[in-house]
Amino acid sequence: MSNSIWAYAARRILFLIPLLLGLSIIMFLIVHLAPGDPVTAMLGPQAPSTPEFLEQTRKNLGLDKPLPVQYLVWLGKLVRGDFGTAYSFNGKPVLGLIGERFWGTVQLQGISLLLGILIAIPIGIISATRQYSALDNSVTVGSFIGLALPNFWLALLLQIWLGVQLGLLPTISTGQASQPWSERWKYFVLPVIVLTLPNIAYFVRFMRSSMLEVIKQDYITTARAKGLDHRNVLYGHALRNALIPMVTVIGLQLPRILGGAVIIEQIFAWPGIGLLAWDAIGRRDYPVILGVTMIIGAAVMIVNVLVDVVYALVDPRISVGGGAA
Amino acid sequence: MSQQSDTLDSTAIPPDPAMPTPDRNVSLLNAPPEKRFQVIKRFRKNKLAVAGLIVIILMYVLAAAAPLIATHPYDEITFGARTLPPSAEHWLGTDRNGRDVYSRLLKGGQVSLATGFSAVVIVMAIGILLGAASGFFGGLIDAFIMRFTDILLAIPLILLLITAASLFKPSLLTTIVVIGVASWPGAARLVRGQFLALKGQEFVTAARAIGANPWRIMLKHLFPNTLAVIIVETTLWLSYAILLEASLSYLGLGVQIPTPSWGNMLRDGQSELLFGAWWLTLFPGLAIFITVLAFNLMGDGLRDALDPRHQDR
Repeated sequence: MSNSIWAYAARRILFLIPLLLGLSIIMFLIVHLAPGDPVTAMLGPQAPSTPEFLEQTRKNLGLDKPLPVQYLVWLGKLVRGDFGTAYSFNGKPVLGLIGERFWGTVQLQGISLLLGILIAIPIGIISATRQYSALDNSVTVGSFIGLALPNFWLALLLQIWLGVQLGLLPTISTGQASQPWSERWKYFVLPVIVLTLPNIAYFVRFMRSSMLEVIKQDYITTARAKGLDHRNVLYGHALRNALIPMVTVIGLQLPRILGGAVIIEQIFAWPGIGLLAWDAIGRRDYPVILGVTMIIGAAVMIVNVLVDVVYALVDPRISVGGGAA
Repeated sequence: MSQQSDTLDSTAIPPDPAMPTPDRNVSLLNAPPEKRFQVIKRFRKNKLAVAGLIVIILMYVLAAAAPLIATHPYDEITFGARTLPPSAEHWLGTDRNGRDVYSRLLKGGQVSLATGFSAVVIVMAIGILLGAASGFFGGLIDAFIMRFTDILLAIPLILLLITAASLFKPSLLTTIVVIGVASWPGAARLVRGQFLALKGQEFVTAARAIGANPWRIMLKHLFPNTLAVIIVETTLWLSYAILLEASLSYLGLGVQIPTPSWGNMLRDGQSELLFGAWWLTLFPGLAIFITVLAFNLMGDGLRDALDPRHQDR
């Protein structure tokens, strides 16, 4: 059993290679086929832009070569772990830039994800055990509201209300890293609220249906029929099995969560990879755009494999032996 | 939930409780009339879903009637009336160019709803075509299309949209095309699942046995049976598309001023918010929120009505 899980994991990881290749081709094409010129964007309107100078800069960046050649050069470096250097951002190496910002996003999203799960699980359980009660109905309505609130609008309203009018919290995160934690936590509050709310809404709905699904199963009826008390059945038998599918939530929601980072980090000027992506896109910094999307895409794919492997490990009903189910 | 990104193998993917499973009552739409009536009856019992439907109809009517019910031309600049709060003359106030917010909100609704609708037409067209091909033909075609969806689903949709919309020149048309072309994988997976499940059923084998050609089987037998799922998915995508358009326009990468959309009205009004002009932020945001909420409620109600077993959970 455990052997086949590792074989399965290995197969899945091998399969990532063609997927990552495909991702690199798609992103490279989007970036390079777009109209507009990175060189003029990079130099700005004040630069001494004689045609010869522009041509020389383009040559230095390798942008004068045919597209397939550019792709292969980039890919060749990429597989050796060299993401190139940024056009802007003081010409720093792309990987270094991502490294500087990665931790900021992980902190913010990690807290919001964890809070979302911790709040959603008990609400989902209570909601499921009292299906169609007033409480359950308000939870359902609440989660619909949470899903429909545009996050940028919520961010804007909270910035003005809690940040400007009441003056309780900082609205912009610039410079927060240099402050002691006794001050620094305040910068987290607003973005964490904005990012956690939709997480709660998603996870509550997921937890509720998962719990309801389990409660209907025969073995729960059997446990009840045996005379086990309600609590014991719910928390001893049902909950454990209802929690298993929650593992997949992280995998399913990761693209949405990382996508939210781009908008929210931009609004709060949060020093994460979302803001880095935003800045790079605005400056047409091809190496940075490609680096960030490749890293994010790879992270999502790897997390998905991990989630499936963990799921197979914790749920004995799933067999990974013979290929397709 | 259409953004679920299960990857290579379906082996270890648990059922997502929010997704309709393919092997269920999918043929209700072309069921006999009394069954169809049951679907309507079940839908009508769901008050939230009915409320959603009413709000959506109201929104489309308001958008369609915008020129008739607007109190001012949406792009009329009045220098003496900058950033005025709601009043009898300007029901929802004016923006910093003295334009009437109520009239702009109506026009913006027209733009936002039409953009969302057009984008969803592209999403569903690509999704249905590729999903059907994938599920029906299987083999290499299926493998190729599904790996393509794996790749697209691994990049956060909004990041992909921001990149594409920004690098190609932001405009109304770019917004529609970019959302449409980037968002189809979820729909394709769904349709593929339906086709796969239906392909093995007896009525399809029977049709094959009497020599029906593949196109006829797809169009006459498989497609009508997936309609229920497609309708639900379309409704939900209408809400996503409106939200995506609003996000892009808010970031300045979607519909461009002077054409109003709910998203770019928010962007345009946010600097005035600091000086207390709350009406520039509140009303467009509420419009987005209510519309998205209504589509979600209706989509969810439709799913329950078309698949009664889903409701019990």
